[in-house]
Amino acid sequence: MARIGVFVCHCGENIGRTVDASSVAEALRSHPGVVHAEDYRYMCSDPGQTLVREAIAANRLTGVVVAACSPHMHERTFRKVVAAAGLNPFLCEMANIREQCSWIHEDREQATGKAIAITRALVEKVKANTPLETIRIPIERRALVIGGGIAGIQAALDLADGGAEVVLVEKESSIGGHMSQLSETFPTLDCSQCILTPRMVEVAQHPRIRLYAYSEVEEVSGYIGNFEVKVRRKARSVNETLCNGCGACTQACPNRKVPNEFECGLGKRPAISVPFPQAVPNMPVLDRERCARFMAIRKGITKAVCGKCAEACTRGAIDFAQEDRFVTEKVGAIIIATGYQLYSIGKEQPEGEGLSGYGEYGYGQVPDVIDGLQFERLASASGPTGGRIVRPSDGRVPKRVVFLQCVGSRDPSRGIPYCSKICCMYVAKHVMLYRHKVHDGEAVVFYMDVRAAGKGYDEFTRRAIEEEGAIYRRGRVARLWRDGDVVKVQGFDTLSGEPLLLDADLVVLATAVRPQPGIRALAQKLSVSCDQHGFINEAHPKLRPVETNTAGIFVAGACQAPRDIPESVAMGSAAAAKVLGLFSKAELEREPTVARVDAAHCAGCFLCERVCPYGAVGRREVRDRAGRLVKVVAEVNPGVCQGCGTCQATCPGKHVEVQGFTDQQIYAEIAAL
Amino acid sequence: MRELRELAVRLLETSDVQVVIGWEESRRGVRPAFAQTPAEAERLVFDQRCVHNLAAYLHPRRKHIRGLGRPAVVVKGCDARAVAGLIRDNQLRREDVVLIGVRCPGVWAENKAEGQPGNRRWAERCVSCPQRTPTLCDYLIGEDSPEPSGGPGLEAQVERIQALPMAERWAFWSSAFERCVRCYACREICPLCFCERCLADKSMPQWIESSPHRRGNLAWHLARALHLAGRCVGCGECERACPAGIPLSILNARLQQSVRERFEFVVSDDPVAPSPIGEFRVDDGQEFIR
Ligand SMILES: Cc1cc2nc3c(=O)[nH]c(=O)nc-3n(C[C@H](O)[C@H](O)[C@H](O)COP(=O)(O)OP(=O)(O)OC[C@H]3O[C@@H](n4cnc5c(N)ncnc54)[C@H](O)[C@@H]3O)c2cc1C
Ligand code: SF4
Ligand code: SF4
Ligand code: SF4
Ligand code: SF4
Repeated sequence: MARIGVFVCHCGENIGRTVDASSVAEALRSHPGVVHAEDYRYMCSDPGQTLVREAIAANRLTGVVVAACSPHMHERTFRKVVAAAGLNPFLCEMANIREQCSWIHEDREQATGKAIAITRALVEKVKANTPLETIRIPIERRALVIGGGIAGIQAALDLADGGAEVVLVEKESSIGGHMSQLSETFPTLDCSQCILTPRMVEVAQHPRIRLYAYSEVEEVSGYIGNFEVKVRRKARSVNETLCNGCGACTQACPNRKVPNEFECGLGKRPAISVPFPQAVPNMPVLDRERCARFMAIRKGITKAVCGKCAEACTRGAIDFAQEDRFVTEKVGAIIIATGYQLYSIGKEQPEGEGLSGYGEYGYGQVPDVIDGLQFERLASASGPTGGRIVRPSDGRVPKRVVFLQCVGSRDPSRGIPYCSKICCMYVAKHVMLYRHKVHDGEAVVFYMDVRAAGKGYDEFTRRAIEEEGAIYRRGRVARLWRDGDVVKVQGFDTLSGEPLLLDADLVVLATAVRPQPGIRALAQKLSVSCDQHGFINEAHPKLRPVETNTAGIFVAGACQAPRDIPESVAMGSAAAAKVLGLFSKAELEREPTVARVDAAHCAGCFLCERVCPYGAVGRREVRDRAGRLVKVVAEVNPGVCQGCGTCQATCPGKHVEVQGFTDQQIYAEIAAL
Repeated sequence: MRELRELAVRLLETSDVQVVIGWEESRRGVRPAFAQTPAEAERLVFDQRCVHNLAAYLHPRRKHIRGLGRPAVVVKGCDARAVAGLIRDNQLRREDVVLIGVRCPGVWAENKAEGQPGNRRWAERCVSCPQRTPTLCDYLIGEDSPEPSGGPGLEAQVERIQALPMAERWAFWSSAFERCVRCYACREICPLCFCERCLADKSMPQWIESSPHRRGNLAWHLARALHLAGRCVGCGECERACPAGIPLSILNARLQQSVRERFEFVVSDDPVAPSPIGEFRVDDGQEFIR
């Protein structure tokens, strides 16, 4: 026999004002199966909770209904109380007489009547409830970090230092990301490589980090605590165990005319190369598109061509026949840190992105119109010019450099409405770097606003203007074109209201920050969502900034939104902390309110499998004692199921039901109304 | 006829087919036949009286028929759509059945012998049939024939009911459902009602009251129609089986119209296209999902 206790809360005046809580308790006292009913001012307070606990013991209650606020608010609280009194927590239900009753009604008598009806319905539900046990899932205490920029490096190091095993997957041949291309960094102007390289080396040497460079995530399956990841290790044409990074092959390669991607096209590299001297791992990649041997093979020439690199390699590490290899790793959590790319400003734009390009700026046509990263390379001591800021066209030192901010950003008509956030700061930095190197040079900046919120940031931009004498002009530039030796800049100063026509020696475009090209495909593999621009969505913009909506998957750095280095690092650490928190438990506890299939009656139509938004439904063979296949039925993976109930609504025979929300329980609730 | 018999004999004799499911003559018209020997295959017929949807014999609930071995089945357009439905809903694997498609001339309203009433009147569904010649088949036999015409098509019937004012429409269906005796013949004959245990047979809880009164009947007919939305192939078997003369085909057809309008889905004999009832889409057109 059911022995139900009902606890009606006044919630101060919140419920008490319109609902007569003691009448509700009074009415429920005579409801079949209810052996105890009382009301109290604040049921969630310590004395209120004590009332519940004591009543359970005194009346040997078999179920509890708390008529109060929404389950969202306090279901957990009261289930804990009930559990502490020795009752299964799932035999406790909340009757929501606040949000669904007192707050939305005025008539006291009617509201009280409705509160009684809601509470009765929940009493009937509790009578139909069954005890449920918390699901425990083992956790694989290893994490996958995708992307080895500063965000991913920080996350990997924090995780590994915290005791977790880390698999770091980087698609390029070296980790480091964009930070390795920067010269000096705002707001302190310390050398980017000098602060980054030690971190990269630490990654390489850490006993708990397994680095897969020149690799990509191919497939992801599983769920929080238990992901399985297939990694494609792209063929370098270099045997990783034999190569010792001496660089003899790169010296030997006769094709030295390949545009250098790391130098943003400002320098050349051989067909077999390491992107930069401090690369981690320090191991070359043979570019099969540019290698003479592979070009010959593509042309159908059967004789082995060139092979100078292989001749030069004393360790026999060059492996022309190497193929992509696959490794499978089990991990319990995943951090996405794939960073950004810059808007390519030319006319041609990738399809389907809604971008229209800035053909009128002549990027790619006029050699002395460059973007911010190219400027970083020019200013970099390790760059193609050894840190001399010169014009790509003729190698001359530019005497007037014009910087354009917000190229692409904040321009909804061209497809990007957002602010790229970092450009105001790095343009101020560029101005300083330029003026430090070219004392008589003039720096002109076209801007919309100067956004320098951050510790020491406003001071930094002020310094650029006040101490370095940069000329800041508020306005947009309409057109850039080459005129003999100079680049003509036609713009408009909106403060003075005058049109401007300037002769510049060099123009630097601060182009918009965009997510990495393959981000949507990656997001799909991971079942996380992107915003309309392709940045990974966080679970909550304020309270859960490094979590995604998929349990066990986190996000850090510029793949979530435009981020500078301090923010990317903070996010990397935050994501690592979240993962370590997850790993600190022996097992993952999950609410048992997940779907379960009635295998005896399941018809195996797999409609549930098709509709499940989380991919939680799989298939299972049912065999008789002799081992003969009887049928194939649906089976829910409780680790993945989110209890959404989509399958339950879809199954024609209702043979899959979310525990705690079975048809029988809901029916009992409705029938009581 | 020769073509059909020769093919059936050939399949039984030379291939991995143990039974050919088709039709044969009987005293009261034609009836489904299960030819297991070449001699039996010589008795197979196909003409306008072959109204039955033989796909109903293919789902796993028909264990006795599965026990006969690998079948070949004669399918009209609507039957092929039902086979596709079974494949789509994982009740049948394509490789487990041989399909003998017939270029269907349309069938009579009933399968009576020549001269009897009901003969020589086109079945309503055939007048507005979307596809008489199946594409889902291994063999295709028979000759093209002119489109069945004359008499009201099913679509005209739907329009007629839809044009009625709400109250009259309600009265029409109420009186129709009131006649239902809850024999579940409609469910048993339907090729797509393959559930191991129907919602209507569940008692914990009993969503659908089992005795034939207004409330239970309404619940049954709503559930039946909705479960077939986007799946019913319009073969008309349910209506033919109903002893109470309830115009189930009109209800079915109306639901398929809705599915077409709202989900741009047309039931076809493509076994891969997922029906809207088994699909989760983030960009679903229905606002209540978002
Ligand atoms: C011109 C310029 C100047 C800047 N100057 C400064 C400055 O002075 N100070 C400052 O604080 N910030 C500066 N920034 C911003 C800084 O570059 C970023 O904040 C920082 O690089 C972000 O780090 P990240 O790790 O999130 O991304 P990234 O540096 O972009 O690293 C992402 C990494 O992930 C890898 N990756 C991408 N996709 C995949 C994939 N699918 N699988 C595996 N790996 C993948 C990439 O190869 C890359 O190594 C500047 C930016 C620009 C454009
Ligand atoms: S309840 Fe939702 S998440 Fe769980 S199996 Fe059903 S559809 Fe999938
Ligand atoms: S929808 Fe129902 S009958 Fe179909 S496979 Fe899933 S549980 Fe089984
Ligand atoms: S066949 Fe007719 S009478 Fe029988 S259950 Fe179906 S609709 Fe009702
Ligand atoms: S509901 Fe009727 S018309 Fe539709 S497939 Fe089933 S038997 Fe055929």
